[in-house]
Amino acid sequence: MLSAILRRIGLSFLILVLVSLFVFVATEILPGDALDVSLTDDDLAVLTPAQLAEMRAALGLDRPAAVRYVDWLSGALVGDFGTTILTGAPVGDIIWGPLRNSILLAVLTTLVAVPVAMVIGIIAAWWRDRAPDAIVSTGAVVGYSLPEFVSGNALILLFAIWLPIFPATITLYTQGPMLDMLVVAVLPVATIIIGSIAYLSRLLRLGLVESLASDYVERARLAGVSERRIVFVHAVPASLVPTLNAAALYVAGLLSGIVVVETVFAWPGLGLELINAIRKREVAVVQAAVFLGAVGVVIMNLMADLSIIALDPRVRRNTGRS
Amino acid sequence: MPGAIPGTMPRAMRQILRTPMTVIGLVLVLVHVAVALCAPWIIPYGPSQLAGMPFEPPGDRFMLGTDVLGRDYLSRLLMGGRITLTVALVGVLIAIVAGAFLGLCAAWFGGLTDEVIMRLVDTKVAIPSILLVGVLIPGFGQSVGVLIFVIALVYVAGVIRTVRAQALTIKPQSFVAASVLRGESSLSIMLREFLPNVADLLCVEFAIRMSSAILLVSSLSFLGLGISPPTPDWGLMVSEGVGYIHTDPWLVIYPSIALCTLVVGLNLATEGVANALGLDAARGMVKG
Repeated sequence: MLSAILRRIGLSFLILVLVSLFVFVATEILPGDALDVSLTDDDLAVLTPAQLAEMRAALGLDRPAAVRYVDWLSGALVGDFGTTILTGAPVGDIIWGPLRNSILLAVLTTLVAVPVAMVIGIIAAWWRDRAPDAIVSTGAVVGYSLPEFVSGNALILLFAIWLPIFPATITLYTQGPMLDMLVVAVLPVATIIIGSIAYLSRLLRLGLVESLASDYVERARLAGVSERRIVFVHAVPASLVPTLNAAALYVAGLLSGIVVVETVFAWPGLGLELINAIRKREVAVVQAAVFLGAVGVVIMNLMADLSIIALDPRVRRNTGRS
Repeated sequence: MPGAIPGTMPRAMRQILRTPMTVIGLVLVLVHVAVALCAPWIIPYGPSQLAGMPFEPPGDRFMLGTDVLGRDYLSRLLMGGRITLTVALVGVLIAIVAGAFLGLCAAWFGGLTDEVIMRLVDTKVAIPSILLVGVLIPGFGQSVGVLIFVIALVYVAGVIRTVRAQALTIKPQSFVAASVLRGESSLSIMLREFLPNVADLLCVEFAIRMSSAILLVSSLSFLGLGISPPTPDWGLMVSEGVGYIHTDPWLVIYPSIALCTLVVGLNLATEGVANALGLDAARGMVKG
């Protein structure tokens, strides 16, 4: 069991190193360097080659790519993502405030989505292949068919313009007090949560239906265990394993959704910062934001894997399999 | 259907037609595809033509009014799905072909090949799609070609996983062992023994990834990272209309409805067809 845990942790590190390599190669080596993509054509028309070389040397871009990569990675591992090319400001100063706001959105969404999805999943599995199941399944299909920029704007139209209950756009700064952020988070969270609930409730329903059809549940039924006890004591814990297996996909989808929602509501988070950085070709901020996103996915996935090891005796015994 | 008795339908087909939601989904998809194909011949104005004054209300000349630049909104709406559909279709097809090949390689060769392919898949899965696109755009620029490449890159990982898992259940079967004894090459075994057995799975994969890819391309266009103006595109039209949502909400509502009916239809159809084929579409479905 210890070797299984160590293996998962080692894999997570390996994946993060591969992610960092990908992020670095995609942004820095092909086809120009960070300075080239940051400068506009107007800048390039004014600057002489000597000045460009000087700027490169000042930014350390004249060093070999491998040296710069190791330098960047060693900084990134302790939270130092270098400085921006255009203004020279430390990337950390730009991203930590927005990161907090994005994490707030992600945590709020998950805190609401998981219990709601569990209730919905249990309802659908309890009345499987009957009317409630059909309604839930169709609702879920519609739920994850709605892109966040459509559902977000629909909610703005309904609850900020036609019924002016909530603000349409967030006017807080990145360092706004937590409590104020909570109040304005209602519509953004409501937007992301549609897809999250749809996805999680389907996975839970599927896991429940599978375990309700399994031999050990049949045995429990024959032994006279009540259906309610079977569902809540036997089937629900078993259905958590396939759901936890999808943790990486869930978190990745959640983060993509958050980028869109932050743009729709002007929520001062890392997603909005990322979109601005891409528009300005501010490579250092893009690298940091994408790497941190991957760190989030990998950490959550690792925690899910470790929970599976704790939950599922079959996985505990088969330590070698992934 | 070869061998089918005239006047009867295969069981799967009957089950599909008996499920109203699946039929609704199929109709929505067919209507959207038909509109996308015929749009250039049925639109009243050129989609980028400045045909009238900005923000003209719906009327005789412009059935749905005009947009911020005075372009006919109905024409733009009818044309708005074409680029997204094309990009998603080509990107996903590349992902399916490459994913099937790599997934079969991983399952068949095992060992180091498997390990390398699967660790690369894990790496891709760790990067949320929109972030993956974001990291490529500063260096590679923003074009339809890059967008197709990105879509293929985003969806290939999921296809590899699905195909590999299915192929691993086929690998221990006797007909595979028989083909090895016949002295077939690895490529021939993968193509002749494995591929036919993952073909229906690939069809479902294609449909699932397709709806997800349409959502992704539209979201990217909305964020300003996808299709560039003045191309008529639903995601782009929403982002262009969002500034006028207080006064002209229809500029946002029409393209939103067009996009959602397409994706809902595609997902309903996929779900129904997958169920009829005895496959489960739920696990693969995920946004972003």
